[in-house]
Amino acid sequence: MSINAKAAPVSFRNVTKIYGKDVVAVDSINLEIEAGKLVTLLGPSGCGKTTTLRMIAGLEIASKGKIYIGDQDVTLLPATDRDVSMVFQSYALFPHMSVIENVSYGLTFSGFEKSETRDRAHQGLELVGLKGYGDRLPSELSGGQQQRVAVARALVLEPQVLLFDEPLSNLDAKLRRQVREDIRDIQQNLGLTVVYVTHDQEEALAVSDEIVVMRNAGIAQVGAPRELYDAPADRFVADFIGEANIIPCEITDVQGETAQITIGTLKHQLPARGMVPGPANLAVRPTRFKLGAADGLAMQVEKATYVGSRMEYTLATSFGEVFVVSEDVDAPLAIGDTVAVGLDSIGPVLLAANENP
Amino acid sequence: MKRVRSNDAANPVLIFWIIAGLVGFCLLPWYGIEDFFQFEWLTDGYPFDDDYAPGAFLIAQGQKLWLAPFLVPLLMPLLVLRRAKTDPIYSKILILAGALGFGWLIIQGFSIGIRGWNFSWMEAAFGELDDRQFGMGYGALICASSFLFIFTQGIAARGAINGDVFVVSSIGGVVVIVTAFVFFPIAKMLTAAFITQDGGYSLAVFASKFFDDRLWGLGCLSGGRCGVAWNSLFLAVMVGFLTTVLGLFFALIVTRSGFRYKKVLRALTVLPVITPPFVIGLALILLFGLSGTVTVFFADLFGVQPTRWLYGLPGVLIAQTLAFTPIAFLVLIGVVEGVSPSMEEAAQTLRASKWQVFKTVSLPLMRPGLANAFLLGFIESMADFGNPLVLGGNFDVLSTEIFFAIVGAQYDQGKAAVLAMVLLSFTLGAFYAQRFWLGKKSYTTVSGKGDSGVHPHMPSALSVPVLMIALGWAAFTIVVYLMIFYGSVVELWGVNNTLTLKHYGTAFSVRFDDEGIRWTGAAWNSFWTTLQIAGIAAPLTAIVGLITAYLLTRQTFAGKNAFEFGTMLSFAIPGTVIGVSYILAFNVPPIEITGTGIILVVSFIFRNMPVGVRAGIASMSQLDKSLDESSLTLGANSWQTFRRVILPLLRPAILAALVYSFVRAMTAISAVIFLVSAEYDMATSYIIGRVENNDYGLAIAYSTTLIFVMLSVVLAMQLIVGRINIGRRAANGSGEKT
Amino acid sequence: MKTNTKIRVTFGATALALMTATNAAYADKLTFYCSAQEDWCQLMANSFQDATGIEVAMTRKSSGETFAQIKAESSNPRGDVWWGGTGDPHLQAAEEGLTAEYISPMREQLHPWAISQAESADNKTIGIYSGALGFGYNSDLLAANGLSTPACWKDLLKPEFKGHVQMANPNSSGTAYTTLATMVQLFGEDDGFDFMAGLHANINQYTKSGSAPIKAAGRGENTIGIVFLHDAVKQAVSGFPVEPVAPCEGTGYEIGSMSIIDGARNMDSAKAFYDWALSTDAQNLALQVNAFQVPSNMNAETSPSAPDMSQIKLIDYDFRTYGSSETRQRLLKKWDDEVSILPQ
Repeated sequence: MSINAKAAPVSFRNVTKIYGKDVVAVDSINLEIEAGKLVTLLGPSGCGKTTTLRMIAGLEIASKGKIYIGDQDVTLLPATDRDVSMVFQSYALFPHMSVIENVSYGLTFSGFEKSETRDRAHQGLELVGLKGYGDRLPSELSGGQQQRVAVARALVLEPQVLLFDEPLSNLDAKLRRQVREDIRDIQQNLGLTVVYVTHDQEEALAVSDEIVVMRNAGIAQVGAPRELYDAPADRFVADFIGEANIIPCEITDVQGETAQITIGTLKHQLPARGMVPGPANLAVRPTRFKLGAADGLAMQVEKATYVGSRMEYTLATSFGEVFVVSEDVDAPLAIGDTVAVGLDSIGPVLLAANENP
Repeated sequence: MKRVRSNDAANPVLIFWIIAGLVGFCLLPWYGIEDFFQFEWLTDGYPFDDDYAPGAFLIAQGQKLWLAPFLVPLLMPLLVLRRAKTDPIYSKILILAGALGFGWLIIQGFSIGIRGWNFSWMEAAFGELDDRQFGMGYGALICASSFLFIFTQGIAARGAINGDVFVVSSIGGVVVIVTAFVFFPIAKMLTAAFITQDGGYSLAVFASKFFDDRLWGLGCLSGGRCGVAWNSLFLAVMVGFLTTVLGLFFALIVTRSGFRYKKVLRALTVLPVITPPFVIGLALILLFGLSGTVTVFFADLFGVQPTRWLYGLPGVLIAQTLAFTPIAFLVLIGVVEGVSPSMEEAAQTLRASKWQVFKTVSLPLMRPGLANAFLLGFIESMADFGNPLVLGGNFDVLSTEIFFAIVGAQYDQGKAAVLAMVLLSFTLGAFYAQRFWLGKKSYTTVSGKGDSGVHPHMPSALSVPVLMIALGWAAFTIVVYLMIFYGSVVELWGVNNTLTLKHYGTAFSVRFDDEGIRWTGAAWNSFWTTLQIAGIAAPLTAIVGLITAYLLTRQTFAGKNAFEFGTMLSFAIPGTVIGVSYILAFNVPPIEITGTGIILVVSFIFRNMPVGVRAGIASMSQLDKSLDESSLTLGANSWQTFRRVILPLLRPAILAALVYSFVRAMTAISAVIFLVSAEYDMATSYIIGRVENNDYGLAIAYSTTLIFVMLSVVLAMQLIVGRINIGRRAANGSGEKT
Repeated sequence: MKTNTKIRVTFGATALALMTATNAAYADKLTFYCSAQEDWCQLMANSFQDATGIEVAMTRKSSGETFAQIKAESSNPRGDVWWGGTGDPHLQAAEEGLTAEYISPMREQLHPWAISQAESADNKTIGIYSGALGFGYNSDLLAANGLSTPACWKDLLKPEFKGHVQMANPNSSGTAYTTLATMVQLFGEDDGFDFMAGLHANINQYTKSGSAPIKAAGRGENTIGIVFLHDAVKQAVSGFPVEPVAPCEGTGYEIGSMSIIDGARNMDSAKAFYDWALSTDAQNLALQVNAFQVPSNMNAETSPSAPDMSQIKLIDYDFRTYGSSETRQRLLKKWDDEVSILPQ
């Protein structure tokens, strides 16, 4: 394998992007992306994640702040002069060129000899499993194949940073899993720095070394998938990464690292995360409830859905509905049943009370 | 693997322009030389002779010392050669050097002319200047380019347009040439609107000419005659509408019907574009005039007196519709082909009938094309001069009024300027109406994904009338052209119908003798000149037009709207005005090109560039932007992206621009009348001389020959352009999508 | 600047002559603006070149276009001599100082009208040919419509000719202005305008170009055209069914003129051409092309087809008055305000 990585870190220092006069797409963000890591920018539409990605690519120039790739200040460098490749949501394969011409395209601008260009392009195609497809036109390939051509086209340039803009959104569910695993494999085998934009949290959790959750032009939280899932910084992150039930609670006492809380009659102990006694919110994943716990709160089953590997329940409580998942598919609860619900000892997380989602 | 250039090495583009500037200043003759490319000057006193000396030699000999300051901006960029692009000093120095150099070039060029100081206040301020200068030559031209592009590199380094040197330089280049060859001459001409009889300036003069009843009268509503302005406006709207509808019909038949003779139809639509002016008008007179074949036939049939119904609005309308429908077709065919079939297929699967698909999806997606076609028809009609002249009768329009204000018995340049302003404001209005209608919707239909659908056929409720109208029109076109051809092979058109080839003989005879072929025909001289000029102008026009279209669709920058309007301006102004304004502006230094072939080429480029721009815009707005972006992130710069991704996908637009500009250069008349010279006589000007002299046979034989020549050139271009790029094969490919 | 250019040109030419040993004919140049018909212009250019060895670059444009060009080029003149075309633009150019004064030794051979043309413009122009105003009719159409043959100006006012008469617009055509000025001189200003108003009722179209009415008549698109008689004769000679008519009341005429452009780069060549163009030989060239004007050299021959000037009653046309821009603008404005707006 002669396709190697020259992975470089990416650094954002107080970067702001303003469109026109006053549309702030990205608001003064600071971000460090380590070399050789796959970092995902995750967030709802319009949160600024694509703009951030395009600023790395050089397709947008930051209005304020500095961007570094490696130790070079690239803030004002145009896309052409950056050692960055990008895979587009629409793949952006050139319809008038064959597959091999598409893959060779970037190489012809990098000063390679013709024979080396051809060899590298073929290696790139082989890497994505499309050996022998070189003479086809993009329109003669399936969506998944087109996607892989786009990846090969970006990869053969051995970029310092490889960018993906929602690369899986045009693929069907089964293909999605396969392609994302392929991407992850290639990234890890070659040690590439990859920045990946998606709005699909499951995809983000699956492929990332680190996830950057973005909201309203800013960064909400940065962390490893597990960190974000288990310890969301706020209600927004908790809700966006996996599903979470947000339940109002009262912190009655804090002893060192441990807080004592009450929800109605339910009492529970969990890490305090620096909070002080008073009203708070509790984020609970649907899997972190204990159905039929002895000291649980009484809840009534409103909906019950069988989805094969598990049961999904919607339960009515005095503070609203909660969504609960149970592994027990053999003795399901029926609609109208009342059940005592407790909390797992690990999993639920305390969040500040008056925060706007 | 990609070298990041700005860090380790000096920027090669910058080095190139620094060297170019020095070559221009130190090696090439600074002032214009007649017959530069015969290189007689090299053996004729160069580099010391005053007339042939480069700028540096002039200064060294103590001459033209006002050129000395150029050394500063020429050498200044050397200071930053080793600095990084991102260094603020780099951009500052380049901007300063470029601005100083270019600014001083303009200041000295306009201040010192062939009679010393150009302005009396300068003479008062600096004393009499015992020297003078002629028009700038290649040395000055290359220096000017060097200053300009050093300046744009500075601007780019500051981060403008994402720091893209190609884009910033293109914008700079287009702005400068449009300013020099469109705004400057037109401004010079239009100031005449404010000049009083004794040479002063006055608003009142303008007002009295502007509010003339002959211009704005509404007499036609009460049975009298309307003002010229209303006539022109009404005619242009009608022509714009009719040509768009007919152009659309032809485009639909070619792309969305099972009609068997599409190719014939397609070829037929090209004919009127390649017809020299006056010819269609003359043919229409022979058919429908007072003694025309058709008129007499029907007059006999119904026993009525033949009338002069053709002269006036009907005749001009028919002739212009005949002449300009192909332009609408050329614009629309690209767009109609470009509408993504999968959108239409999607609509069909959503239970829309063929008719509903057409009405709700296809037609709205063709909007940019329709709007552009209408705009072109409107502007063409406004600026057309030949047809109203022959067929207008008492129906006066602005373009002919402008012509006769200048060359008629009144010699009233001020009136011409006022009329030109009115015409210009109509064009401006149409331009903004078009933008308003298109709004901010997206009409992108070609994305980065392969598209494998097939265009559905038109609904039959539509195809039958469309086919009928188009075929009727086609038949009419054929009759008109048969008449023209017939006219070239009879003794005296309309009087003596003996068949003869003598007109062709007079024009194009050749003789073979010892020295080879002798071109003895009367028309050869102007024929070769015309081919040469048109051949040079066409590719330049296409290049400038498409680069401009690329800037307009793909880049955002301050002043884009003004930029777009500027590029459309020259098209909207009748050729007559352009012709006179070019003489006014380019007969004296700093740009002194009257009487050369250059002025013809330049006038064609800027007259016809807007068609390339419109065609390019219409096609490019259908190409998804991610295609360019992906090319950029793959390391191609924007020039390479333009050349390797956008151009190949723009085949129809390129062809339209090339064909149109070539053909227009061959057939243009109104601007050319003023710009031809003894050495550079053009075919159309020769033909008109013949018509004036009653040599209808010769004129029409020449025109017919031109038609055939252009037809073969157009076909050849179609082959060449088609061969380089196999086209958007994706649209025909068969693939599956997820 | 002129001398410099000339030196440049001559110098370059000499060098070239030395280098390539071409003949000496290259040494002199003439840029010749011609406003007569194409073939006549060609013939004049070639004959002059043959006669003198001066290389001629000829550009043919109508007199209005040439005037506009000379005016636009005035700060850096390109042309040397302007030959042909109706006299008014030449007079206008003289009035505006665009042309240069020159008294040719050939003058004594010219008709008095040619010299009076020169004198009315401070010798900045001179007559080279003249042609009488009149009208022509298409005999086929006249017969088909059962119309009587018109012989006088006043005949054209008859109601039967309604929609059958065409003339150019005096605002755009020198021919039509000559018509207007002729009527004013022939009938007096008031009656002249009455005549124009009466004529207006019968006019089917005011054309832009002066000779267009008779060309339309030739093609059968119009019955009667008011034009210069030599234009009507030309239609007839070309084979069209056109009959020229010299009106019985008498008529005005034009004097085709020649001027040297002020600041000409090749002044000597221009003067050489000027003298040559007034010679008998040069003026006889008109016989070789279909030019039916009367030459200004008394010894030159007139085409046998040309209208016989001795049979035409010519008025004493006052070129100085009616060629001045002041009178012209007054008459045109009056025509605009009082005639052109009348209902037809």
